[in-house]
Amino acid sequence: MILSLRSRLSRMVKDPRVAIATIALLTLVSIILATQIGGYFVFILALMAINLCVGVGLNILLGLSGQISFGHVGFFLIGAYAVGIATLAGWSFWIALPMATLLGAVTGGLLALPALRVSGPYLAMMTIAFAFIVEHGAIEWRDLTGGQNGLMGFPVPEAFGRVFFEMEMAILAILFAGLSLVLYHVLARGHWGLAMRAVSDSEVAAQSVGIDPLRVKTLAFVLSAALAALAGGLFTPLQGFISPGSFPFFQSILFLLAVVVGGSRTLLGPVLGVLVTVLLPELLSGLAEYRLLFFGGLMLGVLLAAPRGIMGLLQRVLIVEDPKTAVASGMPLSELVGRQGAEVDLAVSNLSISFGGVRAAQDVSFTAEPGRITSIIGPNGAGKTTVLNMVGGFYVPDSGTIRLDHDLAGKTAWAAARAGIARTYQTTQLFEQLSVIDNLLTADRAGALGMPFGPPPSDAARSRAEGLLAFVGYDGPLDREAAALPHVDRRLVEIARALATRPRVLLLDEPAAGLSQSDKEQLALLLRQIAEVGIAVVLVEHDMGLVMGVSDDILVLDAGTPIAHGTPVAVRNDPAVLRAYLGDNDYPGRPRTAPWTGERVAVLGAHKLVAGYGAAPVLQQIDISVDPAETVAILGANGAGKSTLMRALAGLHRPVEGSVLLDDAEISGTEAHEIAAHGLALVPEGRQVFPELSVRDNILLGAFTRKDLDADREIEALLTRFPRLRDRIDMPAGVLSGGEQQMLAVARGLIAKPRILLLDEPSLGLAPAMVRELFDTLADLRDEGVTILLVDQMATLALAISDRAYVLENGEVVKTGTASDLSRDTDVEQAYLGAAE
Amino acid sequence: MIASTLITGLGLGAMYGLLALGFHVTYAVSKTVNFSQGSSMMFGAVMGYTFGVTLGWPMPLAILAALTCCAVLGLAIERFVVRPFVQRGSDLWLMATVAAGIMLENIVLFTFGKEPRSLPSGWADEAIEVFGAGAYPLQLAIPVVGVGIALLLTLVQTRTKIGKAMLATVQRPDAARLVGVNTRTVIAASFAISTVFAGIAGLLIAPLFNVSASMGTIFGIKAFAAAILGGITSAWGVVIAGVLYGCIEALTTAYLGSSYTQIVSFSMVILVLVTVPNGLFGTAGLKRV
Repeated sequence: MILSLRSRLSRMVKDPRVAIATIALLTLVSIILATQIGGYFVFILALMAINLCVGVGLNILLGLSGQISFGHVGFFLIGAYAVGIATLAGWSFWIALPMATLLGAVTGGLLALPALRVSGPYLAMMTIAFAFIVEHGAIEWRDLTGGQNGLMGFPVPEAFGRVFFEMEMAILAILFAGLSLVLYHVLARGHWGLAMRAVSDSEVAAQSVGIDPLRVKTLAFVLSAALAALAGGLFTPLQGFISPGSFPFFQSILFLLAVVVGGSRTLLGPVLGVLVTVLLPELLSGLAEYRLLFFGGLMLGVLLAAPRGIMGLLQRVLIVEDPKTAVASGMPLSELVGRQGAEVDLAVSNLSISFGGVRAAQDVSFTAEPGRITSIIGPNGAGKTTVLNMVGGFYVPDSGTIRLDHDLAGKTAWAAARAGIARTYQTTQLFEQLSVIDNLLTADRAGALGMPFGPPPSDAARSRAEGLLAFVGYDGPLDREAAALPHVDRRLVEIARALATRPRVLLLDEPAAGLSQSDKEQLALLLRQIAEVGIAVVLVEHDMGLVMGVSDDILVLDAGTPIAHGTPVAVRNDPAVLRAYLGDNDYPGRPRTAPWTGERVAVLGAHKLVAGYGAAPVLQQIDISVDPAETVAILGANGAGKSTLMRALAGLHRPVEGSVLLDDAEISGTEAHEIAAHGLALVPEGRQVFPELSVRDNILLGAFTRKDLDADREIEALLTRFPRLRDRIDMPAGVLSGGEQQMLAVARGLIAKPRILLLDEPSLGLAPAMVRELFDTLADLRDEGVTILLVDQMATLALAISDRAYVLENGEVVKTGTASDLSRDTDVEQAYLGAAE
Repeated sequence: MIASTLITGLGLGAMYGLLALGFHVTYAVSKTVNFSQGSSMMFGAVMGYTFGVTLGWPMPLAILAALTCCAVLGLAIERFVVRPFVQRGSDLWLMATVAAGIMLENIVLFTFGKEPRSLPSGWADEAIEVFGAGAYPLQLAIPVVGVGIALLLTLVQTRTKIGKAMLATVQRPDAARLVGVNTRTVIAASFAISTVFAGIAGLLIAPLFNVSASMGTIFGIKAFAAAILGGITSAWGVVIAGVLYGCIEALTTAYLGSSYTQIVSFSMVILVLVTVPNGLFGTAGLKRV
C-alpha cells in the first residue's frame, strides 16, 4: 500500500508536466502574494526571487556540471552596475537589462576559458580572485561607478502604462525566477544537461563518449554567470542604490549556501535554499547577529549529513526506483550500432611513447580489421593499456600514426570517440550518479549535443538504448543508479554505453577482470557478436583462456615492444612468448642443496581468505601457509589474484573476510602499519622506493618500527650484500636503475628483521643480468634461513629457488605441491598461457 | 620610501608565506587544504591575547598555550571537517572548511567581542632606523621568523625520523604504510602543523595590526593565492611566492594607491594560473586512466 503510494508519487515527481505545473503554481502564488501582502515583505519577496535566479544559475554550475565558484557575486555586481550606469545614461531599463545579462555571459565566458582548465582548489582561487578584482574595480573606476559612494537616483522603469515600484519589480523578478526554473528544467532533461551531469561524474568517461568537457563546463559557467548578472540587473531598480559595499565577497558564499542547503541537482532545491538564506533571517531578525554562525553551522551540517541537500534527502526517502527493465527492441544489432560510412581498418603504425625517460611503448604497429577481434597481450608492465590510451586519445604519442580514415594521433579523446573509437576501462568508468539508461543516452549523440535547450532524448534513442542493454544481457532496472550496480552489470553497461556511440572500433581494457567463468563465456559470445556486425574489436585481456578462444589476431608486447604477432595457435607456441610469460630459461636458478626439513608451525597462514573490489571477489577461500625458514612461491597468470593476495596479507587491501595469522596473531583486521610492526615486510610490486629520499634514508625507513637498530653496522651488512648500492648510498633513490631500486626495496624490507619477507613481482621489468643477480640474492637469503613468500611472473625461476608453491587461477588455489613436482607439471604452463587448440 | 615599503612587504610576505606553507603541508600529504587557514591565524592571535593580556600569563607561556590551541583546532578540522568527505571520495571538504572558518570567526566574535584590540609587545614600541626608514624591530623580526620556520620545517623533514616518515607518506603512501608509518596520523599531524603555522603568523602580526575576529579572512585568501602562485606542491615555492606577493602588494600600495592593491595582486594570480597552471614552482602528476 505504502509502496504503491510511493511509486505513484515517484512517477508523478518525475513527470515533466508536473514539474512545469509546480513552477507555474509557485510563480502564480508568489505573484498573488506580492500584490496582496504589501509593505516590507514585498521587498523580501523580490529579493528572494532575485536570489533564486542566482541560485538556479549556480545549480547549473555546481549541481549539473560539478564545478565550484566562489566568485558569482562578481557577476551579480557586473549586472547591477551595468543596469545602473546604463539607465543613468538615459538607456531604457528594458534595453539595459538584457545588455547586462549579455555582459555577464561574455565576462563569464572570458573567465571560464582559462579557469575551467583547472579544477578544485585552483578553480576556487580563480573565482575568488575574479570577485575581488570586480569589487575593487567598482571602487576604483570612480568616473563610471561613483567609487565607494556608489550610484543612486535611477529612473524608475515603466511598461504597460505602469511605473515599476516595489510591487511591480517583485512581480518582474518572480517571473524571471520562474522562467529560470523552467530553463533549468529543460536544460537538465536535454542532451546538454545530461552531458553536464556526465562531465561532473567522470570527465574521462565523458570524453570517451565524444563529449568535450571544456565546452560543456564553459556553457554551464556562462549560463550561471548570465543568470547572476540578470539578477544583479533586477536588484538595481529594486534597491534604488548600489555601492561596492552591497556586494561583499561573503555574498558569494551565501549564494552557494542556498544551493547546497536546498539541494544541488534538484529543481526546487534553490527555492528551498532562498527561503533559508533570505526569508529565515528576516523572520528571526531578533537573532540577526547570530546569522552567520547559523549559516556556517547549517552549511557544515548539511554537507556532512545530506550532501545533496534537503531536497536530495527528500528524494532519497520518498522516491522509489522504477522497476522497469530493458525491452529488446527487436532491431538487429547491426541497426542498433548502425553507423554511416564505409568499413575501414584501424591502422596503428610505429607508435612510441616514453614517460620520464622510460619507454612505455616502442614501435607498436597493428591493424584491427572490421569484423575481427584483435587482442593485445603481454606480461604486466608490457604497455598494453598505454597503447589503448594512445589509440583512445588520452596520451599523445611521441611518434607514429593512428589511422581511421585520417590520422588521429595526438587528437583528444573526445575527437577519437567522435571518429568512431569507443572504449571501456580496466576499472569501469560509469557515470556513477546517472541511471543506467541515462548512462547510455549520454552516448547517443556522440558529443554532437545540438541546441542547449533542445528536446530531451527521443523515444527512438531510448528504445535503441534499451535494445543495447537487452543485447549485452543487462536485466536490472533501467532506472537504477550506476553506483548501485554489481560488478558484472557495470561491465555490461559500460560495453553497452560504448556501443551506443555507434563505434567503428571498440577498445576493451580487461573486460573479463572480476567475472566468473560463466560470465566470461557470455562475454566471449558477446564479443563475437559485436565483431560480426562489422566492428573492429581490440581486446586487452589477462584471461588467456578467453583471449585464445575468441581472438582472430594476437599482438604480444613485452616491455613496450612487440615480440610476436599472429593467430592464437602461432602465438601460443612462439618461444619468445613463452619466455616473456614464464621467464628466461637460460638461467635455471639455484635450488636448495638439501631439501627443506623444518617444522610445520606456520609463521604466516591464511584460512578461507576472501577479498575483492566492490561486489566482485578477486580472492575466494584462499588457504595458504608458510613455515619458518621456508621459501614458498605463488604462481598464476596475470589477473589470477596474486598481487591482491599479497596486499591482503600485508594489510593494504581491506576489508577481507576469513582469517590471516601471523605468528598465531589474527591480523585480518589489522592495518598495514601495525602488521609491519608485527614483523611482516612486503617488498611491493613496482618497488615503490621513496624517490626523493636518499638510498640510506630509504633503508633506514625500513627500520621505522624497530627500537634496537644499530644503524651503521646493519647498513654496512646490507651494503656488503648489495654492493651496487654502496656507491649510491647518498643519492636520491629515484635516479637508481630499476634493478638497483629492486635491490634497495629488498634491503628496506630486510632491515626490518622481519619474521617473513613477502616479495611481489621482484623481477618485473628487470634486465636478464639483474634478474639473475636478484634471484641469487634471494637464494642466499633462503639458505640463511629467511622465511620468504614470493610472487613472480618468471614461474620457472620462482619454482627453482622455492621449496613449495601454490598455483592460483581466478582467485582460487587450484594446485599446490613441492616446487620440484610443480616444475614438471604442464598444467602450470597452461595456467599462464591458457589452452589453444 | 622604497626601503620602508620593502620592509612592510617582506613582513607581510613572510606571513603569507607562513600561511601558504600550511596549505602546502596538508596538500602534500593528503591533497586537501584547510580553507579556514585565515581563521586559524586569527584564532592564534585571539588566544594569545586572551592568555597573555586578559588572563595575564607570561608571554612565552601564553604563546605556547595559544599554539597548542591552534594544534588542537587543526586536529579537529581534519577529523570532523575534512576526513569524512575524503573517506567518501568527495571534494566537498573545500566548502566544509570554508563553513568551519565562518563558524570559528563568529564564535570568536561573540566570545571575544567585536572591538579590535592591540596586543602590546616590547618589539613594537619604538621604531628604529634601517636604511633610512623607520621600522619596528618586530617588523624586521617577522621575515626572519618566517624564513626560519620554513628552514626548520625543511630540517625536521630531512633530519628526523618523523620528518622522513612524512616525506615518505608524500612520495609513496602505500610503501610508507608497509614500513610501519601510520599515514593517517601523519595526515592529522600535517593539519595540526598547518594551523600552528597560521597561529604563529597571527601572533607575529597581532602587535602591528589589531586583534579582531575578522582579521584573518582576507589574509587567508591572499595566502592561498600565494600558495597557488608558488605551486602548492613546492614548500620553498610557496614561501618565495608569499614573499613576492607581499612585496608586490606593498609596492602597489605605495606607488599606485591602496585600492589598486587587490586588483593588481589578484590579476597577477589569474595571469599566472593562465600561463603556468601548476604555479611558478609546482609540478603536475601524470594523468592515469
